[in-house]
Amino acid sequence: MIKTYRASAGIMLAPAVTLIGIFILLPMLLTIWLSFQDWSTQTPFSNASFIGFDNFREIFGPTSVGRDFKRALLNTAIYTALSVILILPLSVALGLMVYQRDVAGGTALRTVLFSTYMVPMIAVTLVWSKLYSPSEGPLNQMLGLAGIGPQPWLSSPRSALISIVVLNVWQQIGYFTVLAVAGLTQIPGSLYEAATLDGANRREQFRFITLPLLRRTLLFSAVIAIINAVQVFEPVALITQGGPVGSTNVLTYHIRRVGIERAQGGLGSAMAVMLMLALVVVVCALFAFANRKDDE
Amino acid sequence: MSLAWVSKLALAAGLLASPTIGWAQSVNISYLTHWSPETVALLDAAAKDYARTNPDVTVTVRAVPFGDLLTTLRSQGGSSEGPTIGGIYDLWLPELARDKLVAPAPDTVAGEVRTGWPAGVVSAASVGGTLYGIPNEIDVYALNYNKELFKQAGITAAPKTWSELKNAAQKLTRQDAGQQGFGMINSWAAGVVHPFASLLVSNGGELVKDGKPMLDSPQAGETFQLYEDLIKSGASDPAMATADANTTGPFLDNFVSGKTGMIIMANWWESALKGGMGDKFSNIATAPIPVGPSGDKPHSISYSWMTVVNANAGQAEQKVAWDFLAWLNSPKSGKNGASAMSDILMSMGILPTRTSDIEAHKDKLGSEFLSGYVSVLADAKPFPVVPGGQEFSESLQQTLEALQYGQLSAKDAQANAQADAVSILERAAK
Repeated sequence: MIKTYRASAGIMLAPAVTLIGIFILLPMLLTIWLSFQDWSTQTPFSNASFIGFDNFREIFGPTSVGRDFKRALLNTAIYTALSVILILPLSVALGLMVYQRDVAGGTALRTVLFSTYMVPMIAVTLVWSKLYSPSEGPLNQMLGLAGIGPQPWLSSPRSALISIVVLNVWQQIGYFTVLAVAGLTQIPGSLYEAATLDGANRREQFRFITLPLLRRTLLFSAVIAIINAVQVFEPVALITQGGPVGSTNVLTYHIRRVGIERAQGGLGSAMAVMLMLALVVVVCALFAFANRKDDE
Repeated sequence: MSLAWVSKLALAAGLLASPTIGWAQSVNISYLTHWSPETVALLDAAAKDYARTNPDVTVTVRAVPFGDLLTTLRSQGGSSEGPTIGGIYDLWLPELARDKLVAPAPDTVAGEVRTGWPAGVVSAASVGGTLYGIPNEIDVYALNYNKELFKQAGITAAPKTWSELKNAAQKLTRQDAGQQGFGMINSWAAGVVHPFASLLVSNGGELVKDGKPMLDSPQAGETFQLYEDLIKSGASDPAMATADANTTGPFLDNFVSGKTGMIIMANWWESALKGGMGDKFSNIATAPIPVGPSGDKPHSISYSWMTVVNANAGQAEQKVAWDFLAWLNSPKSGKNGASAMSDILMSMGILPTRTSDIEAHKDKLGSEFLSGYVSVLADAKPFPVVPGGQEFSESLQQTLEALQYGQLSAKDAQANAQADAVSILERAAK
């Protein structure tokens, strides 16, 4: 009986496992293998020659290859951290606002918020590049009306990456607000009623009921926000080309430049492996932190 | 044999042969470029002209932003389904040829190119003596300045030396009005490196000599110092210098709107200036690159573009592609003895390279804007075409941008640029 059950389970799982193997595991293993090879992306895999850890030594070395990679890694980390730091609190705040059923226009506000997520990133990027225009951009014109001088936005290495983060937050916030609202609906109203009877004010209710019970939702949101942020590409490719002075050169854009434009497949694969490892470490650390809190 | 039988046999033979004829003659080829929609429309029209005498050939034109052109060629060129023809920058040729992405020109085409084009341009389209593309455009750098702003600042003539350049830049700068004297470019490798290289060769220096980087020369040191001086004096503002993936953006907007007094740029941006300035384009003049303290006379950097054929395309497609390119670049395809390609290039203000095209467009090449470029062509030095050239350019771009934004001093920038260039070119030469 158990044997039959196992056989049928195996048959039912086989299609999914095969697809995952072909389209996810195989490319990952291939990338790891290529990261130890000297290989041009324009040649067959058979031309690859094993060079051990040379690619990894190069990308962490003192030459321009190493300097550019480390800068791109740091830019990606800053971009991801800022995106998550801004998106999570904002999504909870906006979620609380649109979740209020007794406030008129809540549904309309929810629709408007989510609509930003439905706009393709390429369109968002083009519009924001005009908003950020130093001379004719509406943002600087509005600042001018308030007596504030024009800001360089994308034209300065100090503000370019932050400007791209703002664009990302604007586009993504609707989606994360919907997630926050979904989390809020899972919290029983009776808990708030009991807390009110016990004399808890709104702030205390938020701190001791809402936030703890939203932890699982926030963990999910954080993981998705990190993965989305690490994959940033369009705004950099379309507006800044990684500049000025490499200040917006993020890893996905840099890997494309090294691996495809310069055809340095081995180096590009080593960079991709480091990105994958960094992502795995960060996401595992996040889960470990959340589990520890659960145990407490 | 009766007439009926003859008719039946003829019909049968026709039916048997028709699929073969149809298969053998119908060829679709594609042409990848980075040109604007207006220019793509001109190329489409030329392809239609070609189809009149070659009804079995269809040429599809596809355009991508300049920033994506090399990536598209590299990612799709390895397949027979990739673009059959591509317009490429000469700096990319050595590596595309090494990776067998571009096909050598057939003997007939190579023979025609060798007799119809200047030797320097033919050499830029060749690797190891083998011709890989049909050269079409040459671009050269010169100083563009706004005559109206010069008049307002009381400057009577374009600067001829670096000290005159610095003085003029200072006089043209009005920080309260958001106006800079001399415009630099950033966030675009060629836009950063070519003006720097033009100033360097006008100071008697070179970027690369015999495959070795020469950025540690005293002439290069003086050029890095010029950049630092212009930035520190406030005559050049890096925040006004950014470019986007289409090689337009704030650096262009600032020159077009009269916020930049002078800039070093190539002839091809004539159409962008005309489009942005309208009647005010007549305010723009061209002058040779100012000469540095170690230079003898004005020099400039030139580079060329060519059309290549995908080495992985089918034999029939390759044959048709070369035939189409030979026609497009021949004196028969354009107006008044010019080639259709040169007519397209001249619509953008780009200098053609075929000797007969230069003759055919003599009048337009004598315009106030373009004649300034034509006059510096004779003393222009080709941008070094070496393996690793693109990576070398991008690395120098990073260093120059760090200098523009005050993250590096001129001395440190020079040391970094030379060290990076040595490592990149040595690795690429292996």
